[in-house]
Amino acid sequence: MTPPPDNTLASVPQRSIFAHTDGAGGSLPSWAPYGAFVGALVFCAAVEAALGWFTIALMLVFGALVAIVAIYGWSRAVEGRRRAKDRAITMAIATAFGIAMAPLISLLYEVIKRGVAGINWDFFTTTSRGVVGGGGAEHAIVGTLIITACAAVISVPIGIMAAIYMNEYGRGPLRRALTFFVDVMTGIPSIVAGLFAYALFELFLGPGIQLGIMGSLALSVLMIPIVIRSAEEVLKIVPNHLREAAYALGTPKWKVIVKVVLPTAFAGLVTGVMLATARIIGETAPLLVTTGVIDSMNTDPFSGRMQNLAVYAYNEYRSPGVMKQASYDRAWAAALTLIAIVMILNVIARLVYRRYRTEIR
Amino acid sequence: MPEVRTEYQQELDTLEASALGGLDLVSSALSRTLEAIEHQDIELAQIVVADDDRIDGRYLEVHQALITLLATQSPVATDLRLIAALLHVLKNIERMGDQCVNICKVIPMTGHTPPADREMVKLILSMGTHSKSLISQAKRAFEERNVEMARDLVVRDDVVDELNRECFQLALAIGDDADRREWAMTMMLTARAIERIADNAVDIGEQVAFVVTGLFREFEDASHPHPDA
Amino acid sequence: MEGRKLKDMFGSQAKPQAEEGRAKMSPTGPVTETTSQAIGGAPARRAKTLEAKEVNLYYGDFHAVEGVNMTIEPNKVTALIGSSGCGKTTFLRSLNRMHELTPGASVKGDIALDGEDIYANGVDPVAVRRLIGMVFQQPNPFPTMSIYDNVAAGLNFNSSRIPKSDKDAVVERSLRGAHLWDEVKDRLDKPGSGLSGGQQQRLCIARATAVSPEVLLMDEPCSALDPVATLAIEDLIGELKKEYTIAIVTHNMQQASRASDITAFFNLDESGKPGHLVEIGPTDEIFTKPKQKETEDYVSGRFG
Repeated sequence: MTPPPDNTLASVPQRSIFAHTDGAGGSLPSWAPYGAFVGALVFCAAVEAALGWFTIALMLVFGALVAIVAIYGWSRAVEGRRRAKDRAITMAIATAFGIAMAPLISLLYEVIKRGVAGINWDFFTTTSRGVVGGGGAEHAIVGTLIITACAAVISVPIGIMAAIYMNEYGRGPLRRALTFFVDVMTGIPSIVAGLFAYALFELFLGPGIQLGIMGSLALSVLMIPIVIRSAEEVLKIVPNHLREAAYALGTPKWKVIVKVVLPTAFAGLVTGVMLATARIIGETAPLLVTTGVIDSMNTDPFSGRMQNLAVYAYNEYRSPGVMKQASYDRAWAAALTLIAIVMILNVIARLVYRRYRTEIR
Repeated sequence: MPEVRTEYQQELDTLEASALGGLDLVSSALSRTLEAIEHQDIELAQIVVADDDRIDGRYLEVHQALITLLATQSPVATDLRLIAALLHVLKNIERMGDQCVNICKVIPMTGHTPPADREMVKLILSMGTHSKSLISQAKRAFEERNVEMARDLVVRDDVVDELNRECFQLALAIGDDADRREWAMTMMLTARAIERIADNAVDIGEQVAFVVTGLFREFEDASHPHPDA
Repeated sequence: MEGRKLKDMFGSQAKPQAEEGRAKMSPTGPVTETTSQAIGGAPARRAKTLEAKEVNLYYGDFHAVEGVNMTIEPNKVTALIGSSGCGKTTFLRSLNRMHELTPGASVKGDIALDGEDIYANGVDPVAVRRLIGMVFQQPNPFPTMSIYDNVAAGLNFNSSRIPKSDKDAVVERSLRGAHLWDEVKDRLDKPGSGLSGGQQQRLCIARATAVSPEVLLMDEPCSALDPVATLAIEDLIGELKKEYTIAIVTHNMQQASRASDITAFFNLDESGKPGHLVEIGPTDEIFTKPKQKETEDYVSGRFG
């Protein structure tokens, strides 16, 4: 191949990368973005006050827009066009992030503020049984833990084994059908899962039955596809050359899976299970249908209704009883407890992942 | 099939041409040596001796380049055999040059007007001419990778060997004459040197066979006499 | 492990403990000789011959390799060289029945270990792979296991309880054999992934030899390693051939010429056609006077 003729290179203007052709060679101070934002807010507040339309939300929105323009102009003057564009886009992205975070922060703030009012020793140690205007959520907390644990016991083995099948064994039409059904299951509305569990037990045990285990079954219908999904992803990440190394030693397939694939995927599997649990722990609709409402403590999932935090919160809110505010407080406190449990599960998941993860190259 | 390693291939071709070009240098040295013998030209003899530096220089230069090629290009198969053969051939060329020098050093020893025997001189010049054609045949055989042509060198070398034997007999005869004895001795040395030049040409032919077949066989030596001998 | 015949593996996992030390009478032929007990202390022994006859390999309908006839000699290193995609890795993987792990892949022809067809009906591929081990291009120690467990993995996965002292002996023997013992003997319980690339590959070799196979197959074992590690592995291969039959696939011709006794050159006529064996012979001949022009052109680098 002959090299390109010399004149093509000569026609490109020779520019030194060290020359500042943008004109500007300076650089903004490091507090510039924040300064621009604050300045923009102040500016908008002043404008709004002058116009008499003052609201915080408006100030923030307009402030963000003005800040983007401001930082662009300022940077353009000092640093040059390319960097100005860079800064403006960074500011826009930061703003978008702020907007996305706003509901979450607002939610947490509200729940904590209102839930704290209902948190007291009674909340954790008493049930609603035989109490008027007072009581606690001990039975709900225990119920949530039991129902969720049972759901996990049902879902995790089924989910992981299904994922193993789909990833390691499945071929052809059966596998495609399974993938399709798992996809469908991820979209099932939770009330449908609840109704399914109810209908199933009604078949065997007659109408009107409400048991803790039915709630677990409903939740597992929701949980299984999540477990399968995340387990499949984790199993896929296990590199094939590890399996091959095990095969080459003369290892039967099931042992390769049990002794090499699963241990390597262990951290990811645990994380997946934890996340699936966190997802279903707050489901209200199916539990309403299947586990019912009950004021006393019930630790046997196979007999009688079982209270849980989600339904408890709903109940306290909907049927507040004599001391309304106290009931509302307890509802918020139950919500806060649920969020706390989810956070604890997440933290445990992270710790397990950190401890057991393996460097996969 | 895309052309790869073109630079390497060109380098190898250049070195081969350079090495075989050494044979041209030897050929011209031999021509001048024969002329010096014919006319007892002492000045020409001295020029041949001085010019041997060129042959030695060629040897060193091509030798070094071949070693470098071996180290950097990892040649195998035919390329490797070619390089090994060229290293041998270079040595042969250098030896042939040295033989011419040996002859030219001896010529002045007999003075400007030695008691020459015409027949002896004729024999020696004939040997020289034969050897020259052996050299050019060896060169052609190598360039063309022609094994038959290379084998033929053995037959033609026999002619040179025969002439050498006649020289020997003639020298013995002259030896009785005390005046001409010394001259006869130097002529014997000369004949021997030319015979060695022809043998070197045969060696080059053996290298041709090695490059082509991968087998190294002496065409003829004391333990494997030529079938026609 | 030495001396087991394939027919003894008829569809089940063999229990080497039970067979060890007992005179083995096979219904079909003379007993193969064993010179030592399986575990701990294995002196040089005669390894087995792998012979391929008219082997054709397919991926579904695609004919990847055609008509290979060759013998992999015992106690020698055979190198398989050839351009990319010419089927040498595919062929190598058919020698220990790894080829069929790819969905849709199939094998036609005979491959025999000391005369016994490894693809015969009733022969368990898992058992074949215990006799014919493989080391891969990318060093792949099991990340969840320590160095000790990695080397012992083959033993742990396959057999029933082996006393710890015996396991220790096997691990030490394998690591010594792989020239890795001195470097890791103080950290056997550390994870295998903490080693350098060359050390990891030696660990994989130790792991493969720990189960005392007859044949070791290596698929470009040095491609992922730096030159010093590569030479160390080549030296190791030179030692290993005293005990095993070895076949290596390599892209690196200098490695083939340095490290092997016999070289087999595979080639592809054009893309889409099956690869085939062009020439096989002693390494020194292939690299000084090859018989086929295709071979000459390839080793001289006249085509890629």
